[in-house]
Amino acid sequence: MSDRKFLIAILLMLMVFSVQAQGEFTSQPRHGQYSLVAYVSGGLGYFSSDKGVPAYLQTSVTKLSPVTSVRIMWFPDHLLKMGLETGYVTFYSYNITDSAGGKGKVSLNAVPILLVWSMSITKNFNIFAGSGAYILNTQLDYKEKVISKKFSVGWVAAASYIYPLGKNTGLGLEGKWLYAAETSNGSLCTQLQFVWKFLKW
Amino acid sequence: MKNYYSILLLLLFVACRKQYDVALPDQRWDLFESANAVALKDTVRNKLQGVFAIGAGATDFGSLAALKWSYNVNGTDTTYYLSVFCETDVSYFIMQGKRLDSSILLNGYWRKMTGTSTGKARLTISAANGGRKLLTGAVFNSGDIVIDGVYGNGDEVPTAPIRFQYARPLYNARPLEIVVHRGGGQTADLLPASENSAQIIQWASRFGATGVEIDVRLTRDGVPILYHDDNLSERLIVKNGLIGPVEDYTYDQLNTMVRLIRNNERIPTLREALQTVVYSTPLKYVWLDTKFHGNMQLMRDIQQEYMQRAAALGKPLEITIGIPDETVFNNLTALPNYQNIPSVCELDVDFTQRANSGIWGPRWTLGIQTDKINLMHSQGRRAFVWTLDVPENIKQYMYTNLYDGILTDYPSIVAFYHYVRP
Repeated sequence: MSDRKFLIAILLMLMVFSVQAQGEFTSQPRHGQYSLVAYVSGGLGYFSSDKGVPAYLQTSVTKLSPVTSVRIMWFPDHLLKMGLETGYVTFYSYNITDSAGGKGKVSLNAVPILLVWSMSITKNFNIFAGSGAYILNTQLDYKEKVISKKFSVGWVAAASYIYPLGKNTGLGLEGKWLYAAETSNGSLCTQLQFVWKFLKW
Repeated sequence: MKNYYSILLLLLFVACRKQYDVALPDQRWDLFESANAVALKDTVRNKLQGVFAIGAGATDFGSLAALKWSYNVNGTDTTYYLSVFCETDVSYFIMQGKRLDSSILLNGYWRKMTGTSTGKARLTISAANGGRKLLTGAVFNSGDIVIDGVYGNGDEVPTAPIRFQYARPLYNARPLEIVVHRGGGQTADLLPASENSAQIIQWASRFGATGVEIDVRLTRDGVPILYHDDNLSERLIVKNGLIGPVEDYTYDQLNTMVRLIRNNERIPTLREALQTVVYSTPLKYVWLDTKFHGNMQLMRDIQQEYMQRAAALGKPLEITIGIPDETVFNNLTALPNYQNIPSVCELDVDFTQRANSGIWGPRWTLGIQTDKINLMHSQGRRAFVWTLDVPENIKQYMYTNLYDGILTDYPSIVAFYHYVRP
């Protein structure tokens, strides 16, 4: 019995090694191979500015907020890759209490729609940079609920390390700077990232 | 690799942007604050106006200056200001005056609108240099009144000499409405208060304006407020997380959460703005620039109410509703008795006649439209041109003697060219 377990373990290890031998996930180009790769990320963003909540409101800002993003990259057979990124970021939020004791809450959020360029630095380490639009929205809940929107230009810069899970998948950690120019809001993000090479030709 | 670091350092250096600001200089002057220095009488102030030749100081301010008083009322207190309008670099002085024995002291500051230069100014009219004549009401002629003093940069002790010598009375043969944009000027010009605030309206006449143009929008709950831009933005308000059109927010929300950028002022309601005009300033004219498309009845009611309030005080005040586009034209002419509503029409003369606007307001880029202005004048209407900011253009339009008013961001230079006319 123990021999069978040992054999099964050996077989599994061989299978893993054989998969790795066939090739694990990498962002580095391979001659003649093209693919589309999806990055799905979630994590926290830190609003790094002291500005944002005026002193007269006498409140403190919540600087850590959730950030999610989805990125589709086209991997050609050369070093530079390009793609599109979107997601949802809350730059910051805060609560207020007015002079009559009335409570309220404000959050400033954005949906980025960015054209992203990427390059592999090593087999598993990539850098990203891009620019495009941020659809900003304020959500105010004070006396009445208001959602107000505004368009802004902006950019992104990021770096990620991908640990290969298989030939077409990987798990990564990404550091990212999201910036909307209109409101001078920047968010420094750390995200866990699932990477999936979902189409090859 | 070193090259990359150099480029990075260069980018960081270029990214560091200098923040400009203009703070009012500290205007404390012990002599001016002394117990013996007392307020000037009305009769003295009325005489201490006119066109003055600049001697020392002409390099910085030009060869002529126009001196004119204005005032602000705050409750039962009235403060009088002597504005000195100069040509060079669109400069002006704003002073307060007191009598000290047989002399007159003038204390305040100067500013150049072409940049951020400003500083203290301390002036004196000695008894021998005309102070006694002004204080006793004696007749004086050209050259009899000499104002001597010093000016300096920022908060430093002023040491540069300046001299003004009386030349002639202010020009008043042909009236001109000097209308300042956005209640007193643009926030971008780093004025002492934010554009379209109740506070900047108090400054307008000190800057040389006889009237103000203010931008009217409606909040989500229909309150008319003053705000110029389509959106809340850090150009105009303190950053607070609110973005998008002001029309998305209720008045309570804006009043609690939004402050204007220069001095944390609240966004004023139209009523608060007109209250300031009627009860705190010598302004004679208000142009309500209609920045919304909707029912104009409330705006009309407020216009009527404040013209009646001014009339009850015996104060001449004309408040006109602006017609900037055809939608506003249709909204205004949908009101009952619209032909009796004082208005200023920016559309062509045909629309001006149909709305029976008392004022036609063409933009200056359309050129000097002599025939149309003559047509308007023949119908008893006036013509106000907007928005003239370049001194050469101001002179060109003013000296046609066609226009009855000029809308500008820089009323001090319009006042200068107007009042120094021979």
